[in-house]
Amino acid sequence: MAEKKAVILRTENLQAFYVLEMQGTKKVVRAVNGVNLEIYENEIYGIAGESGCGKTTLLKTLFNEITPPLRLIDGKIYYRINSDEVDVTSLSAEENRKLRMEYISYIPQGSMSVFNPVLKIKGTFEDFIGSHVNGRSREEILKLAHKRILDLGLPQNVLDVYPHQLSGGMRQRVTIALAASLNPRIMIGDEPTTALDVVVQRGVIQMLKEIQQNLKNTIILVTHDMGVHANVADRIGIMYAGKIVEEAPTEKIFAEPVHPYTQFLINSLPKFGDKTMRDSVPGSPPSLADVPTGCPFHPRCPHVKDICRQKMPDFSQVDENHKVACWLVEEGERHG
Amino acid sequence: MRTLRDLFKDYRFTFSFIVLVIIVVMALLSFFSPFDPTLWYVVPRDLRPSAEYILGTDSNGQDIFWQATFAVRNSLIISLISALVSRIIAILVGMVAGYKGGAIDRVLTFLGDSLLVIPLFLIFIMIAMMVRQHMNLAVLGLMLAAFGWAWDARLIRSMVLSLREREFTKTAILSGTGTIKLVLKEYMPFATPLIFSTLINNMSFAIGLEITLALLGLVNLNIPTLGTMLNWAYFSQSILLGRWWWILTPVILSLFMFFALYWLSVSISEYLDPRTRIQRVGA
Repeated sequence: MAEKKAVILRTENLQAFYVLEMQGTKKVVRAVNGVNLEIYENEIYGIAGESGCGKTTLLKTLFNEITPPLRLIDGKIYYRINSDEVDVTSLSAEENRKLRMEYISYIPQGSMSVFNPVLKIKGTFEDFIGSHVNGRSREEILKLAHKRILDLGLPQNVLDVYPHQLSGGMRQRVTIALAASLNPRIMIGDEPTTALDVVVQRGVIQMLKEIQQNLKNTIILVTHDMGVHANVADRIGIMYAGKIVEEAPTEKIFAEPVHPYTQFLINSLPKFGDKTMRDSVPGSPPSLADVPTGCPFHPRCPHVKDICRQKMPDFSQVDENHKVACWLVEEGERHG
Repeated sequence: MRTLRDLFKDYRFTFSFIVLVIIVVMALLSFFSPFDPTLWYVVPRDLRPSAEYILGTDSNGQDIFWQATFAVRNSLIISLISALVSRIIAILVGMVAGYKGGAIDRVLTFLGDSLLVIPLFLIFIMIAMMVRQHMNLAVLGLMLAAFGWAWDARLIRSMVLSLREREFTKTAILSGTGTIKLVLKEYMPFATPLIFSTLINNMSFAIGLEITLALLGLVNLNIPTLGTMLNWAYFSQSILLGRWWWILTPVILSLFMFFALYWLSVSISEYLDPRTRIQRVGA
């Protein structure tokens, strides 16, 4: 992290809300509420947070896949394509479609229905790659897929089976192979390890790391599993109620978390030799349709102060490349 | 090949398959007919079935067997036009309504639902009376097609609605698959069995309605179909005069055709449903 790296994906005050209108009542779900991200080339960036904090919506927004009821309220998303910054929200649907998978690809959670259940894996590969590689024959596409599959150490015959014939770990690895097949610059994984047991998780993480090292690209990993983040991510952003509340390099965030929420997340992890009870975050995440005023974490925060209830704090720089949005830091009191 | 072998384990499939093969062969025989089906008095009138005239002759001086081959062919053509065209409409409407949703869905569903609730038969009679001069096989087929798609469009729509929410749709979209490709390549394999089974149902619907309209004299009676044969036999007093070979030919042919199509559709859709297939052929 010594030298300054080139930013490959940047968002500016990104706000994407679900606007639901039904029988005259309007409900606004603030799933992504002012997110500023700067993600560098050649790194693995982890986004962590509880269920229902807007992780998946953020991910959709990063792909610019914004369809009603989700609406982009404000903000810009920039990709850096061949050293030009491109505002993705201004691109046409067709240009956007071309970018996906070639430039930015999606690693879904390898659940049962992640591939079309009535097509062989081969068919899915052909369809997906075929919608990007023009004019090439079926055989060439298949050869490409075969090569990719072998490179990643998967058995060759996975192409000839149906999705339900694969085990969970295998399916997850095939999804990763598919996502990597066109050498994208950015890969975004939506909980790619969640449905797996820890042994398989390790293999999947290993595979992700290998791909990243080979392609020298960027992986954005969304998961609530802090263990996975600790293993694989270079930097971590902690998300709470549609906002990034703390961002730092992995080691730093595990060593000295600053935001009370991050402290809870990290202190709830089991440690060797420590047999005391683990504390979890009290309460449950707020409804994104009715976010508390001020800092959204204040109803659950043990160090709550008056100002927390009134105003959302800005980011303050705790250290170089460690920033946090919390009044405790702003006012010079640190707990931890 | 294995699919066929499994299907033949069902006596209903075997029966309907054989009947349909016979009917298709009959339809093909019409190309070798020694008589022009539109000409009258080409053979002696009102002869009983015999070696020379296998199914006898009718009061118009036509050979009933050869007349029946034309009738079967034309009825099949009508039903195929109707079934294929209405399938195309149903697929388009169902897929677009299901995938696009919103206002387009509401308009298309409204159209389809309207067709489902209005009494179709009266509309058919009205239209048939209006276009009677121009009535031929294609017009009749298209007319039946225009009203036969609504139910199946609903089926396909509901299928696409559920497919749209599945995980692999998201994977496909975020991997840059275009809408048309997504629907054709990823959704079609799901819809194909359904489309096939409704195709057969729609064929028997078309044949039945053609017979009804023909009996009422609302089609061109010079074109031999199962319906017009029945119309001629009925209104020439063949029952009263005891010419059973004349009226029974179209009746039995249509009955067999309905049975065959119905059993074929039932048997195939049972085969396509994995749960009933396991009961029947044992995994």
